Amino acid sequence: MRATRLAALAAISILMPATAARVARADNRLGPMMDPDRPVICARDTAGLEWRIQCDDTAKVCVYAPSVELDVDGERIDKSLERARECSLDDSFDRAAMQARGFQMVPGRADAPYGWTRDERGRVFQINFDLKRRMYFGAAYSPEKVTDNPLASQRTSIDFGLLVYETLHRGRAPTRHRLRLLEGEVHLQPYDAQVTLLHYDVSHRYFDPLIRITTFVGEPARHDLHLNLGGWTEVGGLEIHATPFGNSQLYKHATAEATFDLWQSRDLESYARIRTGMGLEGQYDDVNGYRSALSADSAFEMDWTLDKQGFHNIKLELADELPRYFQPIPGTATVAPSKTGFSERMRAKLQYEGIVLAINDQPVTLKLAAGGEKRNDLPGVPDVWAFVVDAGLRFNLWAPPHPRS
Amino acid sequence: MAVLAGVGVVAGARGAEADPCTGVVAATTMYAGGRFATCFDPGNRLVVDAGTDGVGGAILLRHIIHFADEPDLEWKMEHVLLDASYDEFTSSFTGTLYQGVFIRHSRDGHIVLPFGDPPAKVFLPFDVGALVEVGGLAWRDSANADLGVVKTAALIDVARSKDNRLRIAIGPVASWDMALTRMPDLAIEEQLVAPFSSGLLDFHAESNNGLDVAKLRVETGYVWSNTRGWLAATRAEASLERTVLSVNDRPVSLVVDARYDSALSETTAGVALRLALMQRTDPRVQKLDADDN
Repeated sequence: MRATRLAALAAISILMPATAARVARADNRLGPMMDPDRPVICARDTAGLEWRIQCDDTAKVCVYAPSVELDVDGERIDKSLERARECSLDDSFDRAAMQARGFQMVPGRADAPYGWTRDERGRVFQINFDLKRRMYFGAAYSPEKVTDNPLASQRTSIDFGLLVYETLHRGRAPTRHRLRLLEGEVHLQPYDAQVTLLHYDVSHRYFDPLIRITTFVGEPARHDLHLNLGGWTEVGGLEIHATPFGNSQLYKHATAEATFDLWQSRDLESYARIRTGMGLEGQYDDVNGYRSALSADSAFEMDWTLDKQGFHNIKLELADELPRYFQPIPGTATVAPSKTGFSERMRAKLQYEGIVLAINDQPVTLKLAAGGEKRNDLPGVPDVWAFVVDAGLRFNLWAPPHPRS
Repeated sequence: MAVLAGVGVVAGARGAEADPCTGVVAATTMYAGGRFATCFDPGNRLVVDAGTDGVGGAILLRHIIHFADEPDLEWKMEHVLLDASYDEFTSSFTGTLYQGVFIRHSRDGHIVLPFGDPPAKVFLPFDVGALVEVGGLAWRDSANADLGVVKTAALIDVARSKDNRLRIAIGPVASWDMALTRMPDLAIEEQLVAPFSSGLLDFHAESNNGLDVAKLRVETGYVWSNTRGWLAATRAEASLERTVLSVNDRPVSLVVDARYDSALSETTAGVALRLALMQRTDPRVQKLDADDN
């Protein structure tokens, strides 16, 4: 193998006679990979074979690799390298001259863009993913009420998102727009479902602080207080819950809230924030019929991408919704939420999502979630906390490489 | 007379061939030199149907997304919007707001396991993709209706075609449907959910000139009902479309289809005439109003 590598090395010189076309196959360790941000030159050997070469003037190292893919035996095949940078042929490359200048020639792998890598045969594949730009659908196993009887109501669920899209406008005052289209989940046994037609929110980091405070205790110091406000809105929400008196359907026509980011990552991808606002909704069940309400909604939520590659993501939501019905609610105390026309819905949800593998560069993620809900707007459903855990897989489409932070 | 002149009999068009997709009227006729299209793009058109199942229509769009930095990767996108049909005689309606099939065609299929440096990679001989349906609505009488909220399927396409003309895809299906009662008030009667417990076979093939299109979709498996528990369910639909003539280079085709639904325990068949009101001219067709002189 060593001899083969040396033969290949010798081949990279337009001034030397042709040698074997066989290419060095990496032994157990893969060779170094060319830097996608640095120039690459292409040169032909005397046999006419084309090579990609990248030299580092500081380290005095030139990495070379075939300009096409290799088969399992390390032979060149008629497949150009995918996602390799354009390089122009440089017939002036002289290996002997480079070695005379102290450069070491090292067999390696051709360059690949950020988020991609190559194997020893030059085949490219994606190794990090942006889960904030994708379409997904998945299934999960969800035992319910684990505190009561873990085996009492086991159930499965599906979830889906037709489009998840986030875009960042960089600059000294960056803004991130987040769009979700037709996102929801459906649980079986007992049945409940929720879907939102359109979600949009925006985060912004203001360049100038709202207030700057200067302290004069000790050395004078300046402390900036930023008020990073944003917006949050949803249109076309639907929740369906099974109750002892039939299904209850909650139509969340439109909700608009203001957000206050308590913490933001540099690219605004991760955040912790408080949001509050109003929503217009209608609820139908067989006990109360249809009733409309204005809902005062508030929440603390956090979205945290733990690593630069976007493999590990955590979401937390603590929400409280107070719908005030336009008409007083008739009925008993156990059925009607309140004599004053208020109901209250509280929920808490913690979710981890991590990438476990990718099929044709489309990631499959593991979702682990735990949540609880307490509400008094469902007829016949006890006003106590009910807990659910989910464990499932999501199939994701698109998910381009995670942006460099 | 002008209309007559615009009627080109596509199948077996008589006349000199300008190129494989553009016919030229033979010199022996009074319309000598006139051009007409002999290839069509059945995936980009606004169609209306009239047949044994009533009248209907749909907007069909498809395109391929290419990437400058990776010529061997493409996304094949197919969209069907507002696909609906109504039968006045039986007062039945079937419609879907949106249906999309997205296939990611790459030169090499593979699975990447994100362990090790670089991650392990296993090569597979298929493309991946997805099917999405949103907003399906159907009724057969005035008392009931079926609402398809969403349907998704993860697809693997073993045909690996570079264009949209051939697809042999299979995959698990997740769907959420509702059975509604329309009288006396609109209400949800039953919820039906398939948590990837059904499988789907989707076959699509069309001839190179776009005159013939064959489709087959089979969906079978188990669906959970909130009132009846788990149910076995199978739906199948097959259609053959043949463009028999064109009017002003807008194709008119004959469609024969058959459907099976285990929930209804019935198999039906129909015949329809399909007219493309608007269409994207196949790019292989020469500009028809070009002046030869």
